[in-house]
Amino acid sequence: MSEKQTILIIEDDRAIGNFISRALTANDYRVISAYTGKEGLSLFFSHGPDLVLLDLGLPDLDGLEILTQLRGLPREIPVIIISARDREAEKVRALDMGADDYVVKPFGVSELLARIRSTLRRAERLKLSQGIQRDVYQIKDLSIDLSRHQVLLDGKEVHFTQNEFKILELLALYAGKVLTYDFILEHIWGPYGGSGSNQILRVNMANIRRKLKENPSEPKYIHTELGIGYRMLDD
Amino acid sequence: MFQDFQDLYHWVDIQGHRIPALPRNLGITVLFLCGAYWASSILIGHTGGENNSALVFVLAVALISLLTSGYRYGIVASVVGTFCINIFFMEPYNAFSLSRTGYPVAMISMVVVSCVICALTARVKKQALEAASREKQTRELYETNEKLNAEKAAIQLESDRIAIRESILRAVSHDLRTPLTSISGTVAVLLSSPEVSEKNLSMLMDVKQDADSLIAMVENLLSVTRIQDGSLPLQKREEMLEEVAGDALLTTRRRFPDCHAELELSEDILYLPMDSILIRQVMVNLLENAVRHSGDTLHIQMRLYRQDDWAITEVRDHGRGLSPEVIQAVSAGEAIPLSGDATRGMGIGLSVCQSIIKAHGGWLTAANHPEGGALFSFALPTGGEGT
Repeated sequence: MSEKQTILIIEDDRAIGNFISRALTANDYRVISAYTGKEGLSLFFSHGPDLVLLDLGLPDLDGLEILTQLRGLPREIPVIIISARDREAEKVRALDMGADDYVVKPFGVSELLARIRSTLRRAERLKLSQGIQRDVYQIKDLSIDLSRHQVLLDGKEVHFTQNEFKILELLALYAGKVLTYDFILEHIWGPYGGSGSNQILRVNMANIRRKLKENPSEPKYIHTELGIGYRMLDD
Repeated sequence: MFQDFQDLYHWVDIQGHRIPALPRNLGITVLFLCGAYWASSILIGHTGGENNSALVFVLAVALISLLTSGYRYGIVASVVGTFCINIFFMEPYNAFSLSRTGYPVAMISMVVVSCVICALTARVKKQALEAASREKQTRELYETNEKLNAEKAAIQLESDRIAIRESILRAVSHDLRTPLTSISGTVAVLLSSPEVSEKNLSMLMDVKQDADSLIAMVENLLSVTRIQDGSLPLQKREEMLEEVAGDALLTTRRRFPDCHAELELSEDILYLPMDSILIRQVMVNLLENAVRHSGDTLHIQMRLYRQDDWAITEVRDHGRGLSPEVIQAVSAGEAIPLSGDATRGMGIGLSVCQSIIKAHGGWLTAANHPEGGALFSFALPTGGEGT
């Protein structure tokens, strides 16, 4: 029953590819490695992996191009982007184009494994709850009740403004996934709501953090992805 | 000839600039008429003829029209001169008379000749002025052109330099970071494998630690290359300071799992323009300094607060404190002394902090806390400038 999950690594740097592959094999995943974009796509179609690790800087195809092709398929396979640190715009674009998560070079093994686990778990959850909207989201000591518009922290009610609640709701809905500033802004304030500035979102988030007694250095519920967006932690 | 005209005119122009036009022109007219009168009185004693005085006055009229503005003064002078000649230098002397045969013709022809001279002089003068201003314009045009060419060349050179720098940066980031990531990562895999013996384990831990500190060093080098001599502009965006600080602390904890560091938030929401990658680097460096050099990794505190128009970040430890040289160097913005084995890498990290903060228009200070331990604080302007 416990069939190994398959991960496809599309990474042109062999050293990085090898170490990821070793780390994943050691952690009981089946690994397929591709060193070019074309090879990656053909391996994807022949092996049908459960998750794709995609480097954005490939020699032959643009990583975003591959992402577009994968997202054009009927079945959504989770994709985690591997990218350099100082390329925020690229990461944001990849996330907005449907990538599930990203890791930044140089990254550590434990970090990578955590991201993979979280993404796979989320994909699993989506498959199980297809189409069914939940009313209550429970994350550790935090419960968000959508129908009653109520947030309980440690069993005690915490009051949020309408927009703060909407942000929490959105993050909970996508728990485990990084939501970019633009994504959140568009969902809460509409396509023109943020009017180009995300200050309104950032201030709302700072207030939510204070109400939840969250410290950004020890995130319990909401993780900040610096310069990119936010993620609700699901484990 | 033109050159002389111009010089003369310029000289008069410059000299007469302080005197208003009317008294200046009048003065010149009177002066030259008097001169002509004086010269004629001398000449008449020697020759007794009237033709000479007419020529002297025509010369005076020519000079007057040259030195005054317009031709009005020249004409007035020619009329006055004609009467002067009639009254003072023709018989009967000291009386106006038209009785002499042919005199009216002579008088009219002198007025006409003088007027023609006036008109000609005025035209020459105008042309000289126009030529001068044309020449000036041409020179200005030429100079502007030269300047633009020089600027274009400088910009080209600068953009070439930026391109070279960026390609070096790319090379460094790829060629150093990637192998280091793979070294650190591979060792991490080995460390978690059950087949490694106790003795090898500690050796592998050393490799991992060194690889990680090299990665940190590369990050610092990249940061400093990015801002050095300002050739690459800061990528400033409005950023929540507490989020940057949180990220920096998480990074430090990931590298030093045993350390204990706390973040104290401000009541104020500090949302200000910065290059968040670089500011995060500053915080990471200060935290790592505390972890590695203070001798006490368990009580590191980071505090954010607002003071007037500054957002201040404090990093405090409870260790052995800083030497006076380090405090002095940080406050003066000088290079940090690289003394002693305990400060391995401390100087570089702090220098990077200094240049990043300076590029943001802020300040960095170091001190020893009265209750012991080192206290670094840096301030960033909260104002909207430079966004």
